Amino acid sequence: MVLSLSLAPARHLIRISKPQRGNQSFATVLISVAYLAHNPITAIFAWQDKDKEQTALVPASPSPSPSTSTSTSTSTSTQPQPHIPAIIPPTGILPSMAVESEKFLHLSRPIVPAAINLQGNIAPLTVNIQPQAIFSILDHAVRRDIRDTQSTRVIGALVGTRSEDGTEVEVRSCFAIPHTENEDQVEVDVDYQKNMLALTLRASPRESLLGWYTTSHELNSFSALIQNFFAAPDTGTFPHPAVHLTISTDPTAEIEARAYISAPVAVNAERASESCLFIQVPHRLLHGDSAERSALEAIASARDTEERAAPIVSDVEALTRSLELTAGLIDRVFEWVNGILDEEEEPNQALGQYLMNALSLAPKVDPAQIEQNFNNHIQDVLMVSYLANTIRTQIDLSQRLATANLAAGEKEGEGKTGEGEKGGDQRGQRGGKRGGRGGGRGGGHQREPRESAE
Amino acid sequence: MADVIKDVPITSVVVEALVVMKIVKHGSSNFPTIATGSIVGMDRNGVLEITNSFHFPTVETSADSSSSHQNDASALAVAAPRQKANIAYQNEMIRHLKEVNVDANNVGWYTSATMGNFVNLGFIENQYHYQKDNEKTVAVVHDVSRTSQGSLSLRAFKLTPAFMAAYKEGKFTTESLQKSKLTFRDILQEFPVTVHNTHLLTTFLHQLPQAPQPDTLEPPTSISELKDDPSRQPLYPSVDNLDLSIDPFLEKTCDLLLDSIDAHYNEVNNYQFYQRQLGREQAKISQWQAKRKAENAQRTLAKQQLLPEDEWQRLFKLPQEPSRLEGMLNAKQVEQYSKQVDGFTANISAKMFAVRENLLPKHA
Repeated sequence: MVLSLSLAPARHLIRISKPQRGNQSFATVLISVAYLAHNPITAIFAWQDKDKEQTALVPASPSPSPSTSTSTSTSTSTQPQPHIPAIIPPTGILPSMAVESEKFLHLSRPIVPAAINLQGNIAPLTVNIQPQAIFSILDHAVRRDIRDTQSTRVIGALVGTRSEDGTEVEVRSCFAIPHTENEDQVEVDVDYQKNMLALTLRASPRESLLGWYTTSHELNSFSALIQNFFAAPDTGTFPHPAVHLTISTDPTAEIEARAYISAPVAVNAERASESCLFIQVPHRLLHGDSAERSALEAIASARDTEERAAPIVSDVEALTRSLELTAGLIDRVFEWVNGILDEEEEPNQALGQYLMNALSLAPKVDPAQIEQNFNNHIQDVLMVSYLANTIRTQIDLSQRLATANLAAGEKEGEGKTGEGEKGGDQRGQRGGKRGGRGGGRGGGHQREPRESAE
Repeated sequence: MADVIKDVPITSVVVEALVVMKIVKHGSSNFPTIATGSIVGMDRNGVLEITNSFHFPTVETSADSSSSHQNDASALAVAAPRQKANIAYQNEMIRHLKEVNVDANNVGWYTSATMGNFVNLGFIENQYHYQKDNEKTVAVVHDVSRTSQGSLSLRAFKLTPAFMAAYKEGKFTTESLQKSKLTFRDILQEFPVTVHNTHLLTTFLHQLPQAPQPDTLEPPTSISELKDDPSRQPLYPSVDNLDLSIDPFLEKTCDLLLDSIDAHYNEVNNYQFYQRQLGREQAKISQWQAKRKAENAQRTLAKQQLLPEDEWQRLFKLPQEPSRLEGMLNAKQVEQYSKQVDGFTANISAKMFAVRENLLPKHA
C-alpha cells in the first residue's frame, strides 16, 4: 500500500493507492478485529445496528420502535459483531429522511486522543440539517461530472454553526468540491476547498467548516482519508469532530441520509491517515420558521406535476387550497364518526377522546362580542384598503399632473381643483403647470386628516 | 450567435427549489436587515433559469462598530451589489462554481424586502448596474413578511428598456418625461416566476410528510399514542395561511403608507421650492430684459450702438430642475402597497366571514 502526497504545481492533491487485490472489496465490509489482525489494510467501521443485544447495554435509553428499525435498515453491513463492542459503542436506528429523525440511541462519541487534555467532552452529538443544505447536495449530485471519473459520488464541504458546548451542529449550507476517484486513487482539490471556504465564510462570518458530505452510503478507505483531512487540525475542524454526511442518491431507491463522526483508529502509524472509525450520529432535518415552511410548500406543490414545476400562486389561490384540504379532513372525520353512530365502523376510544379534547378547545364566546370584534376588524381592513387606494389615486394623479403635457395639463387641472383651473386660465403655459402642481399639493392637504384617522 | 440570443427577450423566470430555499433562508435569518446576493443560471429561449445563488458579504464594511445600526446595515446590504469588492467576490465565486458544473453566468441579483417596500433608488441603481452590462438580468425580490404569513412571495423584475434609456441619460425633468411619455408604471417589468425541482429533489419531496392518504389506518389504542405520534403536517398544501392575524399587517401597511406620503410631500415641497426659485429668477430676467429694452430704445433714439439683449444668460442662472425619479419611484411604491392591501383584503375578509359564520351559525 502506497500513500503519496503529491504536490502538483497547480493544486495539491491527495492520493492514495491501494494494491490490487483482485475482486476483494473492503469498501463496504465491516471488518472485524480478527480480520484486521492478519490483514491490516483498512480499518473502517461503519456500524449500524438493529439488534436488541446492543440496546440492552443501556436500558435507560429509549428503545427503538420496531417498525422504524426494520423499514429503514438498508445498510451495507448489518451483521452484528459481538466481539467488538468495546471499540464501537453506539447503536442506532438509521434515521429515515423524514422531517424529524426517528428515535436514535446514542451512547457516546469517540474521544479524539489529542483532545483529551483540551476537552473531555464526550456528550452526544446531534446534527441538524437545514433543507437548503440537502437541496444543495442533491443539486450537486445531479450536476456531477461523469467524464473523467469512475466514481458516481460527489463530495463537498458542510458549512454551518456549532452550539457553544459543541453537542449540536447545524448544517446551513454546503459547497461542492471537485474530486476524481477511481479504483486506486482519489484526488480532492484541496486548493479549491480552501478558497471556496474562505469565500463562503466571508459572506457568512458566523459559520464555520463542519465536515463534508458525499452522495453514496459507501464508506471506504477513501472516505477515511478525506474524513481525516477534514478532521485534521490545520485543514479541518479540529478540535471539534468532523461531520460526515452521506446521502444516497441512487435513482431507484429512497433518498436517505446518515451522519457520522469519526475517531482515529489504525493498526499502525503508517496507516493512520487512511483509516478511521466512523460512528453514526443522529440527525434531524429542520424546517425552522414559517417563511421556510411557505417556501417548502411552494416547492412541494411542484411535487406531483409532470414537468416538476409550479407557478407561485397568489394568496387567494393558496387559501382556497388550504380550505379545501381542511374541509376534506373534517369531512373525513365526520364520515368516520357517522359510521360509528350507524354501527358500521369499529369505535375507537382513543380517537374519540382525542376528538373530544379538540372540540373542547372551541372558545365559548358571547355572540355580541364576536359580532363587535368582527365588525371592528372588518372595518379596519376595509378602511386601510380604501385609504391605500385613495392615496394611490392621489399620488398617481399628482404624478400625471406633474408630467402632463401642458395643454393636457390644463384640462386635467380643471377637473382637479379650482386652484389648478384658475392657474391654468390665467397664466398660459407656465401657469398651467404650476396650477397642476397646486392641484397635487391640494390633494396632499386633503389627505392629511385621513392619515391621522388611520 | 449573440444576435440570435438577443432576439428572444425574457418572458418568464424559472427558479430552482435550491435557490428558493437559499434566498428565503438568507432573508429570514437577516430579517429585518435586508439581505442581498447574487444569482446564477442561464437563459434558454426566453426562459431565464436561475439555478444557484450565493450571499454577498456585508461584513468588511460594517466592521467598524459604529455602523452596527440596523438602518446602516440595511443600507450597506442594499449597496452591496454595486460595491467593487463584491463585484470581485461575485466573479471569484462564479469562477469557482464553474468548476463544479454550476451554470456560471450571472443573471442578476436578489434582495429581501418587507411588505413590498423594495421600490427605491438603491434597487433601481442595482438593477441598472446589472442590466447595463447584460440585458438578461433580473432582480428577484423575496418578501420576508409576506412569506411568513403563509404563502411564498418571490417576484422577478427588470427595468424596462425605456427606463434604462432615460436612466442612462440621467435626466428626469418634466420636459424629458413629457417627451418620453415615461410614467411610473413603465419603470419595472415583472416576470412570472415558476418553481422548478430536479428529479432527485422530487424523489426527496415524496419522502417528506404527505397529505393524509385515503386508505384506512390502524386505529390507535390509547390517547397517549396519538399524542406521541402527532401526524405530521404535509408541506403542501399547508394550512399555515389559515392564520387570522390582521392587525400586524394593517399596522405595518399604514406605517409604510405614511412613509410614502412623507416622501411624496418632500418631493412636492422640493418641486415647489424649485418653482418659486424659477419664478423669481424669471421675474428678475424679464425685469432685466425690460430694462435693457428700454435702454436700447433710448439708444436707438440717441443713435447709439445697441446693447446685446441676450446677456441675461450670463448674468442669471436658472435653478436646476429636481429629478422626478424619486417621485416616480414613490408612486410605484404606493401602487405596490395598495395592490398588496387589496390582495390581503380579499384574503382576510373571506377568512373573517368564515370565522363569523362558524361561531355564530344563526347568521347563516
